[in-house]
Amino acid sequence: MKSAQLPQRWLLLFLLALGSFLFCLNTGSVSLQWQELWWCFTGKCTDPMQWQLLWQLRLPRLLLGFVAGAGLALSGALLQHLSRNPLADPYLFGVIAGAGLGATVASLYFPASLIALPLAAFVGALLAIALVLALALLARWQQLDHFILAGVAVSFLFSAATALLLYQHDPFAANRVMFWLMGSLSRASYQPLWFILPCLLLCLLLSVLFRRQLDAMLWSDQTALSLGVPVQPLRLLFLLLTAALTASIVAYCGGIGFVGLMVPHLVRMLLGSQALSLFVGSCLCGGIFLIWVDAGARTLMPSQELPLGVITSACGSLFFLLLLSRRRG
Amino acid sequence: MSTETVLGCQQLSFCWQGDWTLEPLSFELCAGERLGVIGPNGAGKSTLLKLLAGLCLPSSGTVLLQGKALTQYSRTEKARQLALLSQENEQAQAMTVAELMLLGLLPHKKLWQANSQADLNLLQQCLDQVGLSHKQHQLLSSLSGGELQRAQLGRVLMQGAKLILLDEPTNHLDIQYQHLLLQLIASLPLSLIASFHDLNLAASYCDRLLLLHQGKVMALGTPQQVLTAPLISAVFGRPCLVDENPFDGKPRLTFAPGVCA
Repeated sequence: MKSAQLPQRWLLLFLLALGSFLFCLNTGSVSLQWQELWWCFTGKCTDPMQWQLLWQLRLPRLLLGFVAGAGLALSGALLQHLSRNPLADPYLFGVIAGAGLGATVASLYFPASLIALPLAAFVGALLAIALVLALALLARWQQLDHFILAGVAVSFLFSAATALLLYQHDPFAANRVMFWLMGSLSRASYQPLWFILPCLLLCLLLSVLFRRQLDAMLWSDQTALSLGVPVQPLRLLFLLLTAALTASIVAYCGGIGFVGLMVPHLVRMLLGSQALSLFVGSCLCGGIFLIWVDAGARTLMPSQELPLGVITSACGSLFFLLLLSRRRG
Repeated sequence: MSTETVLGCQQLSFCWQGDWTLEPLSFELCAGERLGVIGPNGAGKSTLLKLLAGLCLPSSGTVLLQGKALTQYSRTEKARQLALLSQENEQAQAMTVAELMLLGLLPHKKLWQANSQADLNLLQQCLDQVGLSHKQHQLLSSLSGGELQRAQLGRVLMQGAKLILLDEPTNHLDIQYQHLLLQLIASLPLSLIASFHDLNLAASYCDRLLLLHQGKVMALGTPQQVLTAPLISAVFGRPCLVDENPFDGKPRLTFAPGVCA
């Protein structure tokens, strides 16, 4: 990485974020004139429908998409950094399986309630995380590998419970849970932002403040300790933060796969692997990526919305194949 | 070499699950002195270094750093006095040399403090010292083993500690780099405790040697005092010949190969 190119790349990234935001704001089944868009922004909207489209549908959805993408990418980057494992991903701690179980319970027993599904998904995710942490801490496990193993065990347990519930009940509920698991921003409003944004900002703030400590933890525990880094407490703090951030995103947007795994790799190639650029860059790139994916999900099929997970997974698979061929070459 | 004591330990021991990994031992290290820790695998070399670095707590005894118990130091205070270059499989290969070396500033910086111009000047100075100025923007993954060790040493220099602990610093290095690295370390105004597998290197670059065997101190003294044929043959279980290194006059060891044993 030539350090001389770095400022230009950052500038490019910020411009890309701004451009993507504007472009995706005007992408959808109804296209507005740029002038109409500007009028609506400045409060001189002539058509109440347009005002509603912009302020009640497009903007909250765009913001939620950006924040969710940023959060997933940041969680992924943090976990990959902490575990020194490039394949770590925010769903490592059984978050998605826990949220899936919660969503299943909500769909089966409270099918009419709007708030039940995200609430139950959040509770399920927290339950999974608590179980993983309890397992790892009770057994006095120190390494991140132990957390990962506990996460795999808890994931399987929760998936088994979900499968059993769906097998015994209403087949329509299975459909709804499936669609939710594939991820969507169709339930976007301003309300989830109040929930996710504080988690994201806290996570970002702490990872920027502790950038040197996190970089030291990229080396062995011994090296980090000898530099005066409180390795165990910091690791636990960031595991909890990423878990809470992921759970809050999953509760509202479902399981959007691959963002947390893929975006940090891309950012490392663009901006290097130092903590500061990795974390801020992951937030920006994750946000940009997900609003484009959502724009695609809204427009690729003329009369219906694609689940986000379909597009992110397809992109992820392509991306890792490219990475593989580049490494060989 | 002054007579000021940098590090001392009294009756320091480590006991793991009823076995002595390290039986009680005491010694002192003067400012500027280089102490080599030698002994077969499992002798307790790494355990001793971990205890001295405060990475694990001793079963008995205390470590005194600049006359003050190690346990009374805060994490960052300790890191400013004492640095460790450990021999673990380090995987942070996507960092640049400069990024790695700037990590040495960690114990000197508040969370919100950015690196100042003075820090960057110090970086240049340390890069010059370890001879990596021309490679400061290169990724660690593109360096040779010797350069990587020098970059790590640069990080330790940035840390500003006057005492360094090295765990087998010459592992994985070819003969040229082994000598270049140790020569570089010997030229710096530092006190040093290092573990070695290569007894001849230890003899050439250390003022005193500590020979460990099964957690016990077998000898502590100058290379001439410690590296004697009967003692080394007994500890390493191999017939051994000791003569004088024609280059520096230090003891030179030759071990009998298997066919002659």
